[in-house]
Amino acid sequence: MARLRDTLRPALVLAALLLPPGLARAEPAGCSAPPEAMEAAPLPGSVAALSRGALRVMVVGSASTHGGGTSGPAATWPERLDKVLGAHVAPATVQVSVFGGRGTTAADHARIIAEEAPRLRPHLIIWQLGTVEAARGLSPDEMVEAVQDSVARLRASRGERTDVVLVDPQFSRFFRANADVETYRDRLRLAAAASGAQLFSRWTIMRHWAETERLDLERAPRASRTAVADQLHDCLARALTQFILQGTLRGARDRAGGERP
Amino acid sequence: MLNSIHALVRPGRDLRVDFIRGLALWFIFIDHTPGNLLGQMTLRNVAFCDATEGFVLLAGYAAGIAYGRLMEREGWAHAAARVAGRVGTLYVAHIFLFVVFTAQVGYSAAALDQAAYLDELQLDPFGQEPYRAMLEALLLRYQPAFLDILPLYIVVLAMFAVALPLINRPGWLLGGSIALYAAARLLDWEPPSWTGSAWFFNPLAWQLLFAIGVVMGRTDPQALARRFPWSRWLAALAVLLLLAAAVTLNLTWHGPARGWEPPEWLASWLAGVDKTGLHPVRVASVLVMAWLVAHWLPAGARWLNGPPAAPFVLMGQQGLAVFCAGIFLSFLGRIALELASGGWVQAAVNLAGLAALVAVAVVSAWYGGEGKRRRAPALPATPQAATP
Repeated sequence: MARLRDTLRPALVLAALLLPPGLARAEPAGCSAPPEAMEAAPLPGSVAALSRGALRVMVVGSASTHGGGTSGPAATWPERLDKVLGAHVAPATVQVSVFGGRGTTAADHARIIAEEAPRLRPHLIIWQLGTVEAARGLSPDEMVEAVQDSVARLRASRGERTDVVLVDPQFSRFFRANADVETYRDRLRLAAAASGAQLFSRWTIMRHWAETERLDLERAPRASRTAVADQLHDCLARALTQFILQGTLRGARDRAGGERP
Repeated sequence: MLNSIHALVRPGRDLRVDFIRGLALWFIFIDHTPGNLLGQMTLRNVAFCDATEGFVLLAGYAAGIAYGRLMEREGWAHAAARVAGRVGTLYVAHIFLFVVFTAQVGYSAAALDQAAYLDELQLDPFGQEPYRAMLEALLLRYQPAFLDILPLYIVVLAMFAVALPLINRPGWLLGGSIALYAAARLLDWEPPSWTGSAWFFNPLAWQLLFAIGVVMGRTDPQALARRFPWSRWLAALAVLLLLAAAVTLNLTWHGPARGWEPPEWLASWLAGVDKTGLHPVRVASVLVMAWLVAHWLPAGARWLNGPPAAPFVLMGQQGLAVFCAGIFLSFLGRIALELASGGWVQAAVNLAGLAALVAVAVVSAWYGGEGKRRRAPALPATPQAATP
């Protein structure tokens, strides 16, 4: 098995390098996310894991990671990510583990990461946060501190082997009107940049989908709401897959560039 | 029409302060209607500080002038009682806005019928424990989103009533204020909050801007100009710093989405610039701007005294009424932006919003809200009246 992986490794890295971007974006129409939300920096931990043939992904977040109005657990974005990303990187395997739950805050997530990461040794942590903080008016400063401390601890224990991608709240007109979302989004951007994590802006992408009338859960008729939620989560998983693939492409180029004499 | 608005402007005050205050009130209205495209053009997008800092500083300035005179004439007890009355008015206004806010949230939840979509939104404290939330709101320990400026103003003004005897000892007033600010920041002093660990604006820290405003309002403008003399080089440096701040902030916010990663130390420092505890950079930023504006905008500027500036000047002079109306109107604006989207809603919300703010200022000035109560007794103390 190990030999098989070793034989496959160069091929995988090569494939990642040569894969035309258009192919990576082979998704059903309607999912095309705005390019400014898809700019990913290199993900060295994921590149290394993929070249070894197995990527362990840890998803931590609040309600949307566990349901979010979809038809069931299999339709949520983390589960869809497992399938979609897995299909893209085959023969490498992807294993997604989901933690957190409804109403959990960034501080709860930081605790979960501190407890579970040493056991799970994830290569990629996808951390969805900010919704509960904004909805309840919790301190944005404490949210930023939770992110910075948590990522710093991961850096200390796992170095470059674990990438962190933050995911901001879902776009909603109701939410925008009744909570100070912009403050929390601004602070999340800074927290990501300050800790060396990346931000996948679900808000920007979903707002784009809503404004271009491609996918608008808030205005979907009640009868079709579950179906639209399923579609939304599937599309989010596809956008996230594209984001991760772009990050690994960059990471692979950096590695290839670094190895050149 | 501008001429009739202009006729309502109270002369004899520093119209620059009123104008900037009016502008800050307009920005506060815009920033309180999320989804408003003009919200991307307000101060907070290009500077460390935003309209809130300007509003608190100028509130201190106006309070220093008004209550300082009253204190000299009638003594501490009288002036403090007047400030307390003002605190009471603000408190009632806040509770009224709180009721409007809950009604608006309930209405838009029903209108959008957003059942299971964003599960977390059901976690808002009012939805979970309405009776407790009511009590906590009365105690100012529960402040829903966007209802955090008035509680700050209430507490700061109450502290001002106590500190009034120091008003003629600016050194003591500023010293005490800075000490409290430092203690609040270093020792984490903050009033308790029900939902989180702190208020959105910590009044023990934010009182500093108000106190600076009070001292500025009490100081003779000539003396103030001598104390902080104009220097072209210093001004150029200040402008450069403000520009650098604008560029840095925007690169850090929007750079990563365009393939530019800011250095971690820079982002880390920016992430530490908190609003809750009024980070020193925010104080510096608003004071530098005040210094530049005070020089570049002479008190006697012709356009400032003319009809075109009158709507904003009048809004600034009728601060409380316009502020409360602004928060109230922002609720309506939010519902409009929630239910419809597109250029025409944006235009309608902003035009109707500004027109309504001006209308409130006009009615308040005409009916005698903020001016007349103070005008009659204040006259003998004005320098013009005292000279002959």
